[in-house]
Amino acid sequence: MPTWQERITRDTEPAIRVEHDLRYRYAQPAIAGAKLWCDLGCGNGVAAAAAVPEGFGGEILLVDVDAGALALAAQELEGARTQHANLSDPGDVAKLAAELAGKGTVVTCFEVIEHLETFVPLVEMLESLKGATVVMSVPNDAFWATENPHHRTMWGEGAFAELQSLLPEGHTVVSQLQLNGSAIAEDGDGRVPTHFLASWGGDAPPAVRDVVATDLDEQRDWVRRREADLSFYRVAYEQVLKEKDELTKLVREHFARFDEWRSYIHELERRLGLPLSGVSADESPRELPAASDDA
Amino acid sequence: MKVAFLVNDLQLSGGIGVVVRHARGLATHHDVDVSLVLVRDWDLPHWSGYDDLPHLHVISLEEARDQRFDVAVATWWETTFSLFTVPAKRYAYFVQSLEDRFYEHDQAERVVAGLTLDLPVAFITEARWIQRTLAELRPDSACHLVRNGIDKDVFASPDSLEPNVADPLRILIEGDPTVWFKGVKDAALAAAAVSEPRRVTVVTGQPEALGADVDHVVTHVPHREMAALYADTDVVLKLSRVEGMFGPPLEGFHMGATCVTTEVTGNDEYIEHGRNALLVDWDDRTGTTRQLELLARDRRLLHELRCNALATAHGWPGWDQSTQFMALALRRIAASRQPDATRAAAAMMADLRGGMEQYSVHLQERLEFAREAAKLEKVKSLPGVAQANRARQTRFGRLAERLMRRLMGR
Repeated sequence: MPTWQERITRDTEPAIRVEHDLRYRYAQPAIAGAKLWCDLGCGNGVAAAAAVPEGFGGEILLVDVDAGALALAAQELEGARTQHANLSDPGDVAKLAAELAGKGTVVTCFEVIEHLETFVPLVEMLESLKGATVVMSVPNDAFWATENPHHRTMWGEGAFAELQSLLPEGHTVVSQLQLNGSAIAEDGDGRVPTHFLASWGGDAPPAVRDVVATDLDEQRDWVRRREADLSFYRVAYEQVLKEKDELTKLVREHFARFDEWRSYIHELERRLGLPLSGVSADESPRELPAASDDA
Repeated sequence: MKVAFLVNDLQLSGGIGVVVRHARGLATHHDVDVSLVLVRDWDLPHWSGYDDLPHLHVISLEEARDQRFDVAVATWWETTFSLFTVPAKRYAYFVQSLEDRFYEHDQAERVVAGLTLDLPVAFITEARWIQRTLAELRPDSACHLVRNGIDKDVFASPDSLEPNVADPLRILIEGDPTVWFKGVKDAALAAAAVSEPRRVTVVTGQPEALGADVDHVVTHVPHREMAALYADTDVVLKLSRVEGMFGPPLEGFHMGATCVTTEVTGNDEYIEHGRNALLVDWDDRTGTTRQLELLARDRRLLHELRCNALATAHGWPGWDQSTQFMALALRRIAASRQPDATRAAAAMMADLRGGMEQYSVHLQERLEFAREAAKLEKVKSLPGVAQANRARQTRFGRLAERLMRRLMGR
């Protein structure tokens, strides 16, 4: 079940935290040589603090719309400047632009755009920053069709292609992947194993390292198919029950008619002094099937 | 920023609807002064289908010529004829389809519509396949991608779908059967041939041209009613030969309908065969009927496709997001240099030469047909033949002809 926790803290789910950490690690080589590193949408500054390269001598500017988060970020990164800014506001963005333009500036902007009421001022500013290095990211919401209540815009391959058509020439694009699967390792790489394997004898497999990643596309299909099947079979089952009830009702009606008819025949047989027909055990009507309510 | 969108008219249609949506959004949320410039005078009193167009100026070409815009945008190939007469710092072309394909191969419009893509303008387009094509045709010119949004208020998706377990398969076809590339007649015939229980609804402005036995025909449907129709649909059937961004099935997806479609341009934006829709071959009416019958029989598959279609719709942006990209594209175009006219002219002249060669081939074909026709006319005018022909037109002649045919077993 998604927690929709958008602020990264030390209590954030490790799987989400590692995603954020990796993005900052990706930008680290660029940050290392920066005169000014500006982290847009820094939040609590937890991920940024972990990304500060050792011996970093540049200036750090932390920007966020949440004053409380900025105060925490200032504690995480001692000596960093903070700036309160609404990145949907052209005025706030223009003030930042004046500060960020110039060689030696590195701007990181991870998972920010999708939260903005309008991303026009920010994207326009980022793509027009002269001399600066920009590293940014957006999520792939469309793949999972997730409707994150905190996201104002929906991002996926198509939306990213739209964004790309606006980015400066020569920009590079990489994909961030979720690693999910299973690995066999001789020493477990210091991680907690899910299973223990043992082998012996002449044909025992050699000590190998093997990794199989889950195909997320297939995983998505599997999840959706299961959900679709469950809802389909639930309704189909209800339909069958309904049909069964209708049939039971019909059979009951037939039995009732049969009983009437038998009573009439018996009445005639009594008047004529004949033995009553259909009274032996093998001629008795079978037990009525139960309706679904009785089941 | 002051922007002019050149339009032929403001009649309710897919292409114009997209322009109006962007124009409204730009004016309302992005502080853009937008004018819709009607390039045809006679259309001025005829704009309809939109409740109102607040914040927008609807002006004539003459009025536009007295102003100066930051960007003037052509929105249909014919509007490029007037584009450069509107004073603007930059010129752009919003390409919603490769419009030359709307015409048959020997129509003059086909060549000219194609030539307009050689103009020295920046491009904006709504589908990745057009963006890729333009990048190949015009590598010298910027091409910004701005996909169409979906009106999420009108096409408001349900939270979950009720499976159609036992009711007849609900098939919906929309489009004009008189437009050759829409494939509406073929679709109606394919659906009518489904042998399983089915209910076929056709939404069209030209019901008399349908030529197929369907269950319901609905005409002149506004957007909200269209959404209700999609919500009461299992499968949208599209056999188009030409599409731009391919909007209708996506609207159907939002309301929980899957799609059976040809592999028409634009389908790759969101259609995934076997996952959220089924693809059929070109000109394969029987195959299309079989796919529909498959869905009519396999209700589990139908439900899976519908659920995945709905999930695809969840991932598609609304108009607000789309217009943000349009705002960015226009700002970028306004801030960029105008594309090199020399390179554009070179591309245009090369295409013009190609067009002329094509025209010569067509002319040659027509001349040959004319020569053949003249020969036939000569034969027909020979004394004996002419008399025989005249005799055939009489009552006795027609009787004799019928008798002869019977005797010859034809």
